Order: sequence, then structure tokens, then C-alpha cells
Amino acid sequence: MDIKILKITKNQPERMEIRCHEVTEEIREIVTFVKSRQGQLTGVLEGKKYEISVLDIYYIEAVDNRVFLYCSRQVYETKQKLYELEEFLKEKYFLRVSKSLLLNLMKVKAVKPALNGRFIAILQGGEEIMISRKYVPELKKALKGGAC
Amino acid sequence: MHGKEFFVDLIRTYFILVTFITVGILVMGSYFEPNARFGYEAFAAPLIYGGCGVLPNAVMYTRRELRIKELLARKAIQLILIEGIVLSVAFWNTDICSGQSDIVIGMGVCIFLIYVLAHVIDWLLACISAKRLTEELRNLQKTANDASCTK
Repeated sequence: MDIKILKITKNQPERMEIRCHEVTEEIREIVTFVKSRQGQLTGVLEGKKYEISVLDIYYIEAVDNRVFLYCSRQVYETKQKLYELEEFLKEKYFLRVSKSLLLNLMKVKAVKPALNGRFIAILQGGEEIMISRKYVPELKKALKGGAC
Repeated sequence: MHGKEFFVDLIRTYFILVTFITVGILVMGSYFEPNARFGYEAFAAPLIYGGCGVLPNAVMYTRRELRIKELLARKAIQLILIEGIVLSVAFWNTDICSGQSDIVIGMGVCIFLIYVLAHVIDWLLACISAKRLTEELRNLQKTANDASCTK
């Protein structure tokens, strides 16, 4: 596939166009990547596709090889892998807090202790998420650094 | 839990135990044998008993995250082992005879109280840590919001 980048003037809107013979899985991955870089993810709910702003996601969880985006009211499924999302969303204040969960630090109201060195993150909606002991140092590092 | 993390935990528990054992000996000694006098070797007792108290921590070592039930079961085994080891050392080291059941019961209760107090201290330290994390989290959110407003 040829890649062509064209510089435009400030008054023209930026856009990306993919010309392909067929919308393959590879093309979808590229689209998802670009959207996530722009702060949007594609989620599926009851067979319909939705564009979800990263800012609206509370946490992302992998369950039985499926990945779900948890927003305040809805839960969407995404085709992306958790490790890919972790990489994309590093700069968006998402942090891995357990083997299967990425937490949006911007949606955490408070942290309270749990047994055996673990912590519980209380989200803005009141939901509680367990922060695994293994990931507590990462959380401390991220908070001390002021950014993820 | 990794080896280094486990070792740091062990050291922290050891010093908490030594402190409480010293207090325990003071309280129990004042009650059961208020007139007893000891030499400098008495200072070693809390250190030895503290060491005995942390040995059963090996029960808690695991690389994977424990579930609440597993954790409580291991804690119960740990307490039984601590009671067994400390009482065995106390009987072997001193001339407490099996007829002095009040001392045995007193020591058993004292070990249990120290165990509970050590966990309370641990919990309080975790609360302080959680409070600090919450404050740092709020600072991060404020900084991120300010940054997005100025963009």
C-alpha cells in the first residue's frame, strides 16, 4: 500500500483517507488506531457500532478473550486487544491496575485500602475496582510523575 | 508477590512485632511476676520472639493474587503456627511448667493480641498510603484538566 502525506494550509480541515479494494481486518486496525490516537474508540453494543470518546470510558476490562469498554451507563465491546489499548491510551491517563483491567485515572474519585497490600479505586459512579498489589508501584509512579 | 517485596514486608512486620512483644512482656511480666529481675540478655527476648513470629509469614508467600477466602485461611494457619512456635520456644527456653496454665493462657492471648495489633497497624499504614494516593490523584486530575482547558 502506498502512503502519501500531503501538507495543507491551516485554513483547510485535516483528514485522512484510505483507498482500498476491500475493508480488511488490517484496514480496520489502522482506523481503530487512528481513532484511539484522536481520543475515540469504536465500541459495539447490540450489533451497532458507536464512536466513544476516551474521556467517557471509566475502565476497560478483558473477559474471556473479549474486551469491554465500561462507560457510565453502557458497556461496549471492542475488537482491540487490551495490550494494544494500554499502549494507545498511556497518554490518556489509562493505567493497568490488574491483569485484565485498564483504569481511567480521571474517573477515580478516591482510593481505599483492601486486604494484603491491595487497594480499591472508587469510581465517580460509585463502582469499586480492585487494584492488584503487583500494579500498586506503577500507580504510585504514575501519580508521582504527574502523568502516565 | 515477588521475593524482594516479600522480604521488605517481613522486615516491617518484624519491627512491628518486636515493639508489641516488648509491650506484651512488660504487661504480662508486671502482672505475673512483678518482682522478677533480669540481666542484659532480657533485651534479646523480644528480638528472638519477633524472629519466631515472622517465620510463619512463609505461609503467606505466593506469586499470585490470593482470594479473600484463601487469604483468611492462610492467616489462620499463620496464627496457629505463631502460637505454636512462640509457646514452644517459651517452654523450651524458660522453666514454665505445664501446671502454670494461667501463664500459658496469658501468653496465648498476648500472642493473639499482638497478631491483631500488628494487622491493625498494617491497616492504618495502608489507610495513610490510600489517603496520599487520593490526594496525588486529585492533583493529577486538576493538572490534566487545567492543561486541557489551556489547549
